[in-house]
Amino acid sequence: MRRALKTLIGVAAMLMASAAFAHHSHAMFDQSKQVTLVGTVKDFEWSNPHCWIQVLVADPNDPKAASVEWSVELDSPIALFRRGWKPASLKAGDKISVVVNPLRDGRPGGQFVSATGPDGKPIGTVPVAPN
Amino acid sequence: MTRQATVAVMLTLLGGCMCSAQAQTSSKERIEAFAKLPDWSGVWEWDVHVGQSEGQQLSPEGQRKGQAYVAAMHPAFTAEWQVKYDQAKKALDAAVAAEPDQPPATFQPCVAPPFPATALPGMYEWRVTPEETTLISTMGSVRHIYTDGRAHPPKDELWPMVMGDSVGRWEGDTLVVDTVATKRQIRVPEHPGLYTIVPMSDQLHFVERIRMVNRNEMQIQLRTEDPVALAKPLEVMVTWERVTDTNRMVNENECDPATERNPVVNGRITTVVP
Repeated sequence: MRRALKTLIGVAAMLMASAAFAHHSHAMFDQSKQVTLVGTVKDFEWSNPHCWIQVLVADPNDPKAASVEWSVELDSPIALFRRGWKPASLKAGDKISVVVNPLRDGRPGGQFVSATGPDGKPIGTVPVAPN
Repeated sequence: MTRQATVAVMLTLLGGCMCSAQAQTSSKERIEAFAKLPDWSGVWEWDVHVGQSEGQQLSPEGQRKGQAYVAAMHPAFTAEWQVKYDQAKKALDAAVAAEPDQPPATFQPCVAPPFPATALPGMYEWRVTPEETTLISTMGSVRHIYTDGRAHPPKDELWPMVMGDSVGRWEGDTLVVDTVATKRQIRVPEHPGLYTIVPMSDQLHFVERIRMVNRNEMQIQLRTEDPVALAKPLEVMVTWERVTDTNRMVNENECDPATERNPVVNGRITTVVP
């Protein structure tokens, strides 16, 4: 399944992006890679200290296969709010495309980079700063 | 009304007038005391985090500033303490190398960060009064800086506290803050989000000079003194910028450990996925 998933997602090298000078390290995320997840929102957790998007990603090469649930970590609620997000910006069933820096250990999780909604427009009002 | 009763009434009225006059004078003096204080209202953030993305990636300018801060925040230790620092740094490096995917937790998520708590993510707000200046952070920390002329409590009434004991005085528009009785340690930034925690002596002492440079910028000059551990005091200038996209302070420390997705397990930050 994981191999099939790898064919589904686009993995792109990018310039090294420094994680936040934060209260904890983000070394678990591989910031040299970007993965694009195209799927359906299962849940949008507007929670401290981080918000999370749970997104179900189907395998287009195997429609009968079960979807894989990815966990996408974002900043805190007020940090998102400052960039145009609201608690209702996403809801279960929304079709989205999310770009993440994946977990290094191969589990289906990642650090948020950007997202577009079903209308193709970026979610939030402020684009992610290029690195 | 007897003469005695008349005198009693007059005394009561006179007393009332005197109290009222006293209250008015007190109120006027207090208004004047407030008027002498600088206006630090608004919401502020460390300049490193200006323009940070939703995924917590710093802006290019934030990365540059962050690297400069990392360099500036490395103290010159005495020979004895250099050994302690080297040991602590070696232990941190070994912990990172052992499990790079689960980095050590040098801050506890969902726990308000300790003193000085001024060079971290989140937003800050000041409450400036004649008697006390209070610093509130969205990360959950609250600092009380007493400016009513009091001194630190005597030594036998102090103990290591998360925020220590701070007293301040105004030198014009600059608040000069003296802090003692913090936890006897400092955090030396090594990499983003990773710090070497160095134990310090019982002479650890901090002096801050805080001022608003202009409407949109504040500077906090932090001097760390410890004649036993440091070969010379460490001076760091932390700059804050005014937040212009929101005026809402939200306590981001309201996490539920039961549902925390980055729990600390065996001293390491982990990530929970279904």
